[in-house]
Amino acid sequence: MSGRILVVEDDDRLADYIAHGLTEQNYTVDRATNGRDGLFLATDSEFDAVILDRMLPGMDGLAVLKAMRAAEVATPVIILSALGDTDHRVEGLTAGADDYLGKPFSFAELLARVHALQRRSTGAAQAQAQVLRCGDLELDRLTRQVRRGARKIVTQPREFRLLEYLMLHAGEVVTRTMLLEAVWDYHFDPGTNVIDVHISRLRRKIDDGEGGDLLHTVRGAGYRLAAD
Amino acid sequence: MLRRLFTSTVARLVAAIFVLQLASGAVALALLHSQMLQVIASDRTRQILDVRDDLLAAYYEGGREGLTEFIAARRGSTVDPLIFVAVSGSGPPQLVHLAQVPAVSAGPRPAPVAVVPAPGAEPLDGLAIATDLSDGTRLVVGALTAPDRRFDLAFAEAITVTVLLTIGLALGGALFVGFMISRRTHAIAATAQALAAGDFAARVHNEDHGDGFDHLRQQMNFMAERIDRLVRELQSMAGALAHDLRSPVARLTASIETAHAAVPEGPAAEALQLALSDAAALETMIATALELARLDSGTIGDRRTRLDLAEIAVDLIELYEPLAEQTRTTLAVAAPRPVMALADRELVSRAVANLIDNALKYGGDHIALAVRREGPWAVIEVADNGPGIAESDRARAMDRFSRLDNARTRPGAGLGLAMVSAVAQLHGGTFELAQASGGEGGAGGLLARFRIPGA
Repeated sequence: MSGRILVVEDDDRLADYIAHGLTEQNYTVDRATNGRDGLFLATDSEFDAVILDRMLPGMDGLAVLKAMRAAEVATPVIILSALGDTDHRVEGLTAGADDYLGKPFSFAELLARVHALQRRSTGAAQAQAQVLRCGDLELDRLTRQVRRGARKIVTQPREFRLLEYLMLHAGEVVTRTMLLEAVWDYHFDPGTNVIDVHISRLRRKIDDGEGGDLLHTVRGAGYRLAAD
Repeated sequence: MLRRLFTSTVARLVAAIFVLQLASGAVALALLHSQMLQVIASDRTRQILDVRDDLLAAYYEGGREGLTEFIAARRGSTVDPLIFVAVSGSGPPQLVHLAQVPAVSAGPRPAPVAVVPAPGAEPLDGLAIATDLSDGTRLVVGALTAPDRRFDLAFAEAITVTVLLTIGLALGGALFVGFMISRRTHAIAATAQALAAGDFAARVHNEDHGDGFDHLRQQMNFMAERIDRLVRELQSMAGALAHDLRSPVARLTASIETAHAAVPEGPAAEALQLALSDAAALETMIATALELARLDSGTIGDRRTRLDLAEIAVDLIELYEPLAEQTRTTLAVAAPRPVMALADRELVSRAVANLIDNALKYGGDHIALAVRREGPWAVIEVADNGPGIAESDRARAMDRFSRLDNARTRPGAGLGLAMVSAVAQLHGGTFELAQASGGEGGAGGLLARFRIPGA
């Protein structure tokens, strides 16, 4: 995926790191180091996504976001914040953010979320579809049936939701945190490798005895469901 | 209850006001009574002296005959049935409203005397004055004071009514004062409670009457203002600290990740992977420490909703079940019926997840969750059959950053149980560690009891 991303972050090294990573992923990156410049850029030009630090000199990140939304700029915004707890998350989301990421984060996590946001704005049609497909894997959201080729796969309710989320984001990297938030609605780290075990259980169900694996582990980032 | 009522300050105040009002009423009535009696007595005296002066005038004018005539004609005040007159001396005494001459010695003022109004009748109380005339005649003039008794009776009646009214009014007044004081102090206490619960914007409604309550309110508001400012300063400091600590950790993670992606698989990559997980642990530690500070200061926003703790437990069991299966641990839950409580789902889930995670790490091969209602409490228990924690170490286990020796070799930040305790306290509950009873899981290990008020 590619596109144009605005990074508003006052910490130069962190901004460098984000910009460097995004450029490597073929994104064009614009940078601002304070809220006022960030708001000016965000309202002045078209971006695919804005990565906005919450605590900024001059103008607070939330104020920038509110001003953007007031000016009817609908660009997806991810807030980066050292205040990662639920209260601040809710505050950020109600102010019009599309996602909220607590510091520190791994670049893979940020990239996965940027991808998800881009997909959300372009691939809304799939979110409505009754049957999701990935290779020969098929998931019917109405009858709640899953089959791979001719083989029927029995899933428990939570497994079904896990697979549904992975299929909605087929081809993208999905992080453990994203899964926890979307499938279990928890915003804390439950410790150990809880999600990994759920994934390997699901993987046994869909990939065991098949020619090609669908559910891949992305080293240091998360998982990806893809028929490649 | 009764004992409490008797020792209650307001009840004592009400009682004191009541007794004082009653006493002042009684004193006023007694004063009034004696004053009235005095007025009546002096009235009688004057009346007696008036009658005597009339009779003496008749005597000086017409001598003994004139006097007899005057009395026989029943002129002047002598018609009054309460007035009695006796003229004695030579011959049979002349009596008006009397059966016999009252025994009274001559004097300048009327004196009390027993009066027989009719033959054979009971003697009555009276006042009489005797005057010895020049011809040896003795004139006795007096008045019956018996009717004054009727006044006493009427007065007693009035007193009864007055006393009853006084009791009613005094009681009402005292209760009203008690109610007002209670209400004002409760209003102040409610504000203190709101402050204690972390609502630092709470203020007492200020009125300016210059009394002790206003002073208390004012000082209360000053205090609240100061607490509010301190907490806000603390929060911004915590925010700044988070920013200052987290950004370097973020950069550290970033640099390690960059390096990790650049080196081929091998010892260097493995070392970097280890560094990465240490950085992640550091991140979790900072996050939890900050969260804990916020929980302690009670500044966390109120996101409590009425929810079923049994459901929370079952959801978490479902989350950890595959992991337990992988480590060959049985994970059982006994939550037969809904246990409702006013709770923050995220925080309670996190606390219970902490307990399950702990039990999985240190707790043997059987973990049992139980959710139930115990009187007013909603209780979640996590029991395992591991080595447990010695009773002397249990309090220390809940300290921040303290890790017991047997746990030191395993990963973890040491903030787990302190965090669970803080969450319980934030919900007005308690968290305690005990020895599990064992039962189906074999030898009892650690029993963690998380208890918050039910709803």
